[in-house]
Amino acid sequence: MSKHGTSTSTRRSFLKGGALLAAPLAAVAAPAVVMADDQLRTRLARLEDEAAIRKLHQAWLRAVNTREGNTNDTLDEAASLFADPKRSAFDASVRAIAPDHAGKPDAIELTSDGKRATGRFHCAVETETAIAPDCTLAQMAHAQGSGFVHRTERRVLHVEYVKASGAWTIAKAEFALA
Amino acid sequence: MTPCIGTIRKKGWGKFMPTPYPKEQMHRIAYTKLTPEQILDKLGPAAKTGPTSASPLSDVFAGKSIRIVTDNGPALAYTFSGNKRLSLTENGGGSVDAGYGALTLANVAFFSHMTPGTQRGYTVVVDQGTNLATVFELWFSGYKDNREVQREIYYGYVDQPGQQAPTARHVVTNRCEGKGFYWKQDAGAETLEFFPSASYSNFVELSRLGGELGFCAPSDYIKINDDRYIYTRTECEFSGTFTAYVMDLNRLEQVGVRLGFDANDALEYYVFCGDGEWLGQLAQFEKFGDEKGAPVPAAPAGQTPAKGARRVYRPFETMAKMTKAEVDAACAKRSVAFPPRTTGPAAGMGGNLGPNTDWLAGKTFTLRYDHAPAIEYRVEDAENLNWRKEGDSSWTKARYQGWESMPGVIMFGHLLEGMPNHDGHAIVADFDQGLVTCFNGYLNTPYFANEAGVRTLFGVIEMDGLIPPKYNRHKFTEEMLGRAVSQNYAPNLTSMHLYSTPHSLSWIIFTDTDAGGLQWSGPAAYVKIRDGLFFMYWLEEACNGTLGTILVNLHTMRDVGVGYNCGPNGLGMSAVGAHERLAGQFDIKRFYQVPTSGGAV
Repeated sequence: MSKHGTSTSTRRSFLKGGALLAAPLAAVAAPAVVMADDQLRTRLARLEDEAAIRKLHQAWLRAVNTREGNTNDTLDEAASLFADPKRSAFDASVRAIAPDHAGKPDAIELTSDGKRATGRFHCAVETETAIAPDCTLAQMAHAQGSGFVHRTERRVLHVEYVKASGAWTIAKAEFALA
Repeated sequence: MTPCIGTIRKKGWGKFMPTPYPKEQMHRIAYTKLTPEQILDKLGPAAKTGPTSASPLSDVFAGKSIRIVTDNGPALAYTFSGNKRLSLTENGGGSVDAGYGALTLANVAFFSHMTPGTQRGYTVVVDQGTNLATVFELWFSGYKDNREVQREIYYGYVDQPGQQAPTARHVVTNRCEGKGFYWKQDAGAETLEFFPSASYSNFVELSRLGGELGFCAPSDYIKINDDRYIYTRTECEFSGTFTAYVMDLNRLEQVGVRLGFDANDALEYYVFCGDGEWLGQLAQFEKFGDEKGAPVPAAPAGQTPAKGARRVYRPFETMAKMTKAEVDAACAKRSVAFPPRTTGPAAGMGGNLGPNTDWLAGKTFTLRYDHAPAIEYRVEDAENLNWRKEGDSSWTKARYQGWESMPGVIMFGHLLEGMPNHDGHAIVADFDQGLVTCFNGYLNTPYFANEAGVRTLFGVIEMDGLIPPKYNRHKFTEEMLGRAVSQNYAPNLTSMHLYSTPHSLSWIIFTDTDAGGLQWSGPAAYVKIRDGLFFMYWLEEACNGTLGTILVNLHTMRDVGVGYNCGPNGLGMSAVGAHERLAGQFDIKRFYQVPTSGGAV
């Protein structure tokens, strides 16, 4: 547990946790190491929550990266992963999000009651920004289907999660510069 | 062959000779909105007799029957009873008889016909060596302007019974991009045709219109093989006339068809052959290996293109058309010169503008124009000046910006508040030479009051310590003629100028893959300031009405400039700046020389 009353896990600690989870199975036959049942259940629940959040995060990334509409569409698959689809909008210029393997490891923090969580993901974000159509050149660019500035930026994605009726959903997603 | 616009003028003394120029240029003609019934009526005789031809028609198909199979298109069974009559069965339906005309270019056969009783027909290209065929279905009344010819292109082959169907096809390509040709058709029509885009083209009608201006049209480029290509253009926004031809780049020969209605609504439907000259090759900017054609998608992303769809730039349709009263009201409401610069995608054409100069700050001088009132200046700082016409007692304050493109050469611009036609001056002053050139933009022009007009003012600079020349002036130049220069104004905002006639230029907008995309043109002029330094303007007539001015420095490959525009939101003057690249030059100066008509030379 962290001093703020939340558990913190990184990708590395997740793997480490997985190893610990496997260890007690062998320990059953070794009475010298016995883990209390409630502690085990708590850890198992946390790991299951983290796995569920990662799965949700992957589903959201897939939906964002394959969406054809804009980020303010409250009816698409990405929006359906939010607790409130009306709060699904984020930076409208983002067109694709990929893991930044040169960034810090993903981090998921669960509140002590296990009902809320936050995620911090370092990403490479592709953005598309429309050029203002205030001159003939830009108007012609838009007329031929271009007229956008495309960039790839390193950003940190901050996501808030909430668990309702036993299922995790996204409460809020926003980017910050890496 | 050394053709020029003068070749169409009959020589003679003592009688009035008609000029080669039209009463109205293409962008000023109010083409009749023909009804489908009128079009059907006009097509009727030609559908029965086939297209006319100045050259003997080919009998390559006479007495033959062929069946053309197309991908995702019709199966066309033709029986040719001679070199002027055919019968056609489409998709196994009923047979119809029609007139046709065929021509050949080496082993490429080309024929065209309309279908009697309809507004549609086919033009077909058959490579007799490979049996591959490209079919153009053509029709009228497919767009709200009925006279604009629509086309759908089908790729396929001539069925050879007992033989396996070929898998290859003619294919859209960018391999024609950058080329330019002079063509003279068998009936005498002379054109310059430039392909700086992979989806548009720029053509100069030397004989029909006198070659003053170039015009642009959506185009198709289709590869038959490395030597031969099919080119089309549809004169959208103008007469709607469709031209297609096969060209052989080595033989410099063409065979093709022209279909449409001229400015007098007379049907033009003829096949032609012609000889050409290769004028040069401009650079392409796509990645090496990218030979894709049609870089501008026919429909917006996510939409399925309708039959015949193509992206067409329709500036006349979309431009604001204002009266003098509306212009006066808009200018009174808002006149802004050089608004604060923005960065990022909102920077527009000012994205690559260099820093402005304070070179003029604190200076007092007079710009004395040869054929316009002299303007006196007292410059306060890098963004504010005071001006007055010589003889006036009061000064008018104006916001300006200036740039020192070459040492001692300052380009600056400002609006002239209080002038009845809301003038704006874009000025290049060479303080080392004491010379000045001003592009004097103004509004309340004859066609649309918000469309800018321009006067070119040559003159000298008068200032303490500066002795200007008495006779020397900046001059119009043809040094830029035929050149193509790309301008990158900001990320993903790149165009290219093609200086295609002494009095017009066209601009090409690059796509995301850096292929040439949409293209348009307007009247223009080029003034030489110094070696490698050219001041030029273009007018976006029947297209936003903007006066664009740039000072092109071929040494630094940068341009700076001033745009002058009036619309419903008011009058504006803004700064532009770009990083440039030379894209090549067409050899075309000789086409604009007027020959002597007699006497000793």
